Amino acid sequence: MKRKITSMSLWMLVMMAVVFLAACSDDSSSDQSSDGNSDEPITLTLFNADGEEKTFDDPVAQKITEETGVKLEIDYPVGGSDEAVPLMIASGDYPDLIFAKGDLGKLIEAGGVIKLDDLIEEKGDNIKQMYGDQLDRLRNSIDDPSIYTVGTYGVENAHWETSGTFQIQLDVLRELGYPEINTLEEFEAAITEYVEMHPEIDGQKTIPLSLLGSDWRWLITVGDPASAASGIPGDGQWAIDDETGEATYKFLLPELKEYFRWLNGMNDKGLLDPESFTHTYDTYISKLSSGRVLSVADQDWNISDADAALVSDGKEWRTYAPLPVTLGEEYVSQGLKDYGYSGGWGIAISSTSEYQEEAFEFLDWMASEEAQILVNWGIEGENYDVVDGKRVLKEEDRERKNSDNNYGKETGVGYYVYPFPQWGNAALDSNGEPISPDTEQDIIDNFNSAEKEVLVEYDMNNWIDWFPPTEELGVSNHGQAFNYPISSGSDLEIIQQKADDLTEQRITQAILGSPDDFDATWDAMIDELEAMDIEKANQEMTQKTLEIMELWGTK
Amino acid sequence: MSQKKHVSEANIKVAGASTLLKRKRKPHYEDGFLQKLGKQKALLLMSLPFVVWLIIFKYIPVAGWVMAFQDYKPQFGMFDQEWVGWKHFKELFNEPTFYRALENTLGMGILGLVFGTLFAIAFALLLNELRFLTLKKWTQTISYLPHFVSWVIVANIVITMLSPEGIINNLLVGTGILNNPINFMARPDMFWGIVTAADVWKETGWNAIIYLAAMAGVDPQLYEAAKVDGASRWRQMWHITLPSIRPVIIVLLILNIGNLINIGFEKQMLLGNNIVAEKALVIDLYALEYGIGMFRYSFGTAIGIFKSVISIILILICNGFAKRMGEGRVF
Repeated sequence: MKRKITSMSLWMLVMMAVVFLAACSDDSSSDQSSDGNSDEPITLTLFNADGEEKTFDDPVAQKITEETGVKLEIDYPVGGSDEAVPLMIASGDYPDLIFAKGDLGKLIEAGGVIKLDDLIEEKGDNIKQMYGDQLDRLRNSIDDPSIYTVGTYGVENAHWETSGTFQIQLDVLRELGYPEINTLEEFEAAITEYVEMHPEIDGQKTIPLSLLGSDWRWLITVGDPASAASGIPGDGQWAIDDETGEATYKFLLPELKEYFRWLNGMNDKGLLDPESFTHTYDTYISKLSSGRVLSVADQDWNISDADAALVSDGKEWRTYAPLPVTLGEEYVSQGLKDYGYSGGWGIAISSTSEYQEEAFEFLDWMASEEAQILVNWGIEGENYDVVDGKRVLKEEDRERKNSDNNYGKETGVGYYVYPFPQWGNAALDSNGEPISPDTEQDIIDNFNSAEKEVLVEYDMNNWIDWFPPTEELGVSNHGQAFNYPISSGSDLEIIQQKADDLTEQRITQAILGSPDDFDATWDAMIDELEAMDIEKANQEMTQKTLEIMELWGTK
Repeated sequence: MSQKKHVSEANIKVAGASTLLKRKRKPHYEDGFLQKLGKQKALLLMSLPFVVWLIIFKYIPVAGWVMAFQDYKPQFGMFDQEWVGWKHFKELFNEPTFYRALENTLGMGILGLVFGTLFAIAFALLLNELRFLTLKKWTQTISYLPHFVSWVIVANIVITMLSPEGIINNLLVGTGILNNPINFMARPDMFWGIVTAADVWKETGWNAIIYLAAMAGVDPQLYEAAKVDGASRWRQMWHITLPSIRPVIIVLLILNIGNLINIGFEKQMLLGNNIVAEKALVIDLYALEYGIGMFRYSFGTAIGIFKSVISIILILICNGFAKRMGEGRVF
């Protein structure tokens, strides 16, 4: 049984040897062999931290190649591994383009990516135009204010959709006569009442609330809903005062304790799916797709497969409505908060690439109006028509887009928007037409029949109507803390990793334990957090936030 | 009485064979070194590629251990690093999480070793007694198939079967053994057991192969002699089969104990969740998350070195033990 030689140390040593050999080899291969002038498209390799298995041969991809002479070969981390970028650095073997998300800092430190400032200055017309005065937000840090990446988030975003809030099945709203649900108390009462009426759905046991806390998604279905319910804007694991820049590790806050006490009560009353912290993502999605889960607290993109499956099964009433639920009336839901352009994550060009200029030209082209129309709408005549100067998706495409989760992957429509440089959903092209097919009207048109009916009952146009509006919440001065580049091996990084590991375990135990033990478990966790010097992490994060605000000129 | 005598004669015979083997190791001629070299030229040449392989892949990489004494940054060369002495080891030994990982690793390692070996030997013994050859071959093939199934799939099967709505709970509740289903995967106290059971299920057939091969080498005359003396099947197993494969068992045990700490992390990572995380954290996972995953190569290397040292100590202890008992040993 132990004959498998999967020794970690061996691996590290082998890697070490590879680095060593790579360092010794000469770099003769990277000289200018300049065959760039031929008509053959060049192939750029792209590492996409959020990627999946996909070849670059759909109609949109072919069109991109035709226009730019660039083919992409997309690599992705298997199973969402955290180790992909560190391994890349260790081997020194970089793809041409790298979308590393939070690992960008490591690449900068290792000299794996190049500064883009000069390239943007020389030939980044589209990019300059796209970012406008937000260009400063791309800068790395106060000590090294260069630009290393472009892309990821839309510039000029309007907020017509929420994500990551509590969501409740439409049928619950209908059965209960369309009640107002603004607090956790009302939310709990609604699902309790429904479960009593319908202990089974389609012959299977009704699940009142299901979470997915068995893997990293703990963060988005357990951790984030806690801060959302407490009216804390989305800064990952932090609660940040936008005025003073003061950062606190969010699980230290008393509001969050109250949220988890509620969840603990839900579990005690049998309203929380007992498998919430053990089932796998696939099981979770299949439960949701069966229509027997009454409510979730999740990001829309995490459950979109289940949503499409429900619609294609004709179970529209089993899909979900987002709710502006908070702990109590005094907390304001931040579901529509505008964080401004957050910068941070984006696509970088590697220092070892033979095609740095071509890669930059490609990225710049992706920021152009022509490219944005192509990636958002697809090909004219095939995916959309122009009627009276307006772009209109073909009926077939609209239908597939809403019910077929392979639509983007097969046609390429919408597939190359993220994480490339992208115009926001509020951006207009030179004719004043929206660049994104997801205008508010489109979002409303695309609601399924059940959603439309519920909205009429509530006398609303869109779900966002019952959330506090973006204008009231103000624009964040500091973006979102989880986008900040944190230098590797720093105290902040290590303490946060330890604290995250600890809170995931302890909070899970507190939720699943008896309500009598809740306080003791929670207090013990706070003691443990203090023992690992969480205060120091708070201070460093505060420092970081202040620096970002200074860099962006928002303070 | 006469039965017993025959059986013990058989034992003597086996013991005689092994002393013969031992004697062979002493050279009974006194040639000079060069002469010996010349005589064994062909053998030496044959082993050369393997020695080269060993040096390149096992010895040269050990040079990377210097990383543990530096603050290693991959963008600089190996000798342009900052030297920090024992810093990373000190950090490691001051880390409570590390001791938890060590405890879990040794705990699951020992459980896996004990049950893995016992089940494999028991299974091999039973298979060996099957006289119907086709059935024996089929059973053997089917039983080692799980070995080729990836842990990803096995973990999913285990999690599904053990879930509150899974087949095991249905069975237990249906037969009235339990009143309420147990969420097995949410019980930290059961995690080691679940990992061990999954491991036994997956690897028993495979591990039995080597014992079966050893059993095939037992002289049939021994069994015939025992049968003449009226020894039952159980007696034959106990007095002939098991003693005959004892050297194999011991050698395998020593090798496995040396690997006790290298239990990998796939099982624990795939079966674990946030509830059982405290019981599921093993050293390799710790090295991955807090070492490589956080870009702390030096820290990761320090963990690797620590593991190697533990392995060597374990092997030396076991080998010494085997030597004292006069059994087969590794070196």
